[in-house]
Amino acid sequence: MFFHITLERNMQLHPRHFGRNLRENLIAKLMKDVEGTCSGRHGFVVAITGIENVGKGLIRDGTGFVTFPVKYRCVVFRPFKGQILEAVVTMVNKMGFFAEAGPVQIFVSNHLIPDDMEFQSGDMPNYTTSDGSVKIQKDSEVRLKLIGTRVDATEIFCIGTIKDDFLGVINDPTTA
Amino acid sequence: MSLEPFNRLVKLAARAFYDDITTKGDNQPKTGRSDNRGISVVVLDALTRRQWVREEDLAKDLKLHNKQLRRMLRFFEEEKLITRDHRKETAKGAKIFSAAVAATNDFHHTGKEGEEKVKLHTHSYCCLDYAQIYDVVRYRLHRMRKKLKDELENKNTIQEYICPNCSRRYTALDAIRLVTPDDDYFHCENCNGELVAESDKLAAQEAGDGDDNARRRRREKLKSMLQKMEEQLKPLADQLTRVKDLPVPEFGNLQAWEARAHAHARGGLGDGSSNDPSKSSQGYGGTPMPFLGDTKVEVAFGKEEDLKSETASTSLKVLPPWMIKQGMNLSKEQRGEVKEEVKMDGTSTSSTVSDDKKSSVNTDDKRSIQDEYVKAYYAALLKKQQELEEASKKQQELLISNTSNMDSGTSSARQVGMKFKREEDEGDEDVEWEESNVTSNTNENYKVNDLNVQAEPSGGDEDEDDIDWEEG
Ligand SMILES: [Zn+2]
Repeated sequence: MFFHITLERNMQLHPRHFGRNLRENLIAKLMKDVEGTCSGRHGFVVAITGIENVGKGLIRDGTGFVTFPVKYRCVVFRPFKGQILEAVVTMVNKMGFFAEAGPVQIFVSNHLIPDDMEFQSGDMPNYTTSDGSVKIQKDSEVRLKLIGTRVDATEIFCIGTIKDDFLGVINDPTTA
Repeated sequence: MSLEPFNRLVKLAARAFYDDITTKGDNQPKTGRSDNRGISVVVLDALTRRQWVREEDLAKDLKLHNKQLRRMLRFFEEEKLITRDHRKETAKGAKIFSAAVAATNDFHHTGKEGEEKVKLHTHSYCCLDYAQIYDVVRYRLHRMRKKLKDELENKNTIQEYICPNCSRRYTALDAIRLVTPDDDYFHCENCNGELVAESDKLAAQEAGDGDDNARRRRREKLKSMLQKMEEQLKPLADQLTRVKDLPVPEFGNLQAWEARAHAHARGGLGDGSSNDPSKSSQGYGGTPMPFLGDTKVEVAFGKEEDLKSETASTSLKVLPPWMIKQGMNLSKEQRGEVKEEVKMDGTSTSSTVSDDKKSSVNTDDKRSIQDEYVKAYYAALLKKQQELEEASKKQQELLISNTSNMDSGTSSARQVGMKFKREEDEGDEDVEWEESNVTSNTNENYKVNDLNVQAEPSGGDEDEDDIDWEEG
C-alpha cells in the first residue's frame, strides 16, 4: 500500500555546500540519499514530495560538517500480507518464479501456482497450462496475492500466490 | 411469496451462528443471571413471525428490556440480518403504523393505540431482510469452508526447503538468496547442495520426526473440523439450496409496507379475526401479516415427502427438523389433539413423524419402534394431563383458602417443580414455547387457571412455558 507520510532525517552537509544554494543542495542530497531506499518500518521511499522544515544546523567538532534535522513529506510503498499486487515476472525456474512490483521482489513457489500449470524448461522457462492457453514466463504480468513478507531493517521480501480466484496472468507478452 | 422456507433458514442460521451471542459487554461478570445467551435465537425467531415491527412492541412481546433488545437488534443490523428504520413520530405517525398492523380489522378503531403517544418521539422499526440473510449465510459458509480448505491444502503456508546434505532449512522468504543463474534449483548456502521442497516425500523423511508429527496432527484436526462443519451445518446448507430458486420475500421499506397494508385493508376485510389490535399489543399476534393473508405455506421438503404430506398434513403440522432429536417432538397442534389421536390408533401421527424423519432414518423397524413410542407417549401424556388438572385444581383451592397471606413462594415453587418434571419427558419445550399461542386458542380455560395459580407471574420465559405445558 502507498502512504503519504512525514519523516525526519539528520542530514550532514559538507562545508563546501554552504553558500547561496545551501537549501537546494540540502534537498538534492536528501533526495539522493532517501529515494529508493527501504526501511522495514515504513517500506520503500518512492518520492519526496516536499520539505516541511529544516532545523538549525549543528557544527560537528573537528570536521566542519553541519548536521541539519530535516522534516520531509514522502510517498512510501509498504507491502502487506494479504495484499493483491500486479507484478512483472523476472525469472522462472523449477522452484517457482520471481516477480517485481516496483521495488518489491516477490517469489511465488511452485506449490502456489495452480496445479494445472506445469513447468517447461528450455530457453524460455515457463509455466503453462496443458492446453497452452495460459503461460507464465519472463516479462509476463501477473496479479498475485502476498502471503508472507520478510521485513528486515533495510529490506522487504515477499512471497505470493496465484492459486486463488482472479489471480494469475493478466497480460501475456507473447500475444501482446 | 412464500415465507416459510426463508423463516426456516433464519431459524437454522440463528441456531447455528447466533446461539451463544450475548448482548452483555465483556467487562460485566457473566454470572448465571446475567448470562443471556440464546436470547438472539429467541429474537430472530420472533422476527420470523412478524414483518415490520416497532421495536418497543417487540420488546414488550418478548418481555425484554428495551435497551437489551435494541442492543441485540443493532448487532443483527451489523450482521446484515435485519433492516431498521427510525423516524420521529407524532401521535399521527404512530397511528399510521398501528393502523397498518391492525389493517384488516375495524378501521375506525385503529386510533386507540396511537393516542398514547402524543409526544414527538423517535420510534425504531425493524424487519428481517431475507434477501440479504440468504447472501450473508451463504457467504459465511463459503468463508468458513474456504478458510479450512486453504489451510488444509497449505494454500497460504510458506513453503519450506531443506538441504538433503546438511539438513539446513530454508523458507520461501529466503528464495532470493538461494537462486543461482546456472540452473533451475535452489542451492544451500552452506554446501551448495540442491534444496528440496519440504512437502516432498524425501524431505519429509529427513525432517525431524516430532515436527512432522505435529504437522500431521494439525492436518488431521483440520480435516475433522471441516468434516464436522459439513455435517453439522448440513441442514443449513440444504435449506439454502431449497431456498435458492424461490422468490425472496420482500416487505419493502417501512413506508411502502404501511402503504400496502392500508391498501390491503381497504381492499378486503375478510380475514380480520386474527389481527385484532388489542391482541397484537399484548401478545403473540405482534405484527400480524395484514396483506399476506394467512401464512399457511407448505414447505416443499422434497418430492416424495410432498406426496406423503398431502395425506397426512391435513390435521398435523410438519415438524421443523431442528426440533427432531429422538423422533419424539410434537408440535402443539399435535398436542392439542391428543385425546382424539390416542383413539385413532396413532396411524396418522406415525406417518407424519416418519415422514419428517425420513431424511435421517429410513428403516422400517425403526419406524415401528417410533410408532410404539408415540402411542406410549400419548398414553402417558393423557395420564399426566389428568394428573396435572387435578393438581392445579387442588392448588387453586389451596390458594383460595389462604388468600390473606399469599404465600407466593411455595406455590410458585410447586409450579416450577412440576415444570421440571415435564421437561424431563420432553426436551424441546423451550424451542416451542414462543409459538404456542399462535395456533391454539382452544384451551383458554387452562391458561386462566394457570395464571390464577401463579401468585405473581414469575416473568419472561417461565411464564410462557407454563402456559404451554398446560395446554398439552
Ligand atoms: Zn546444505
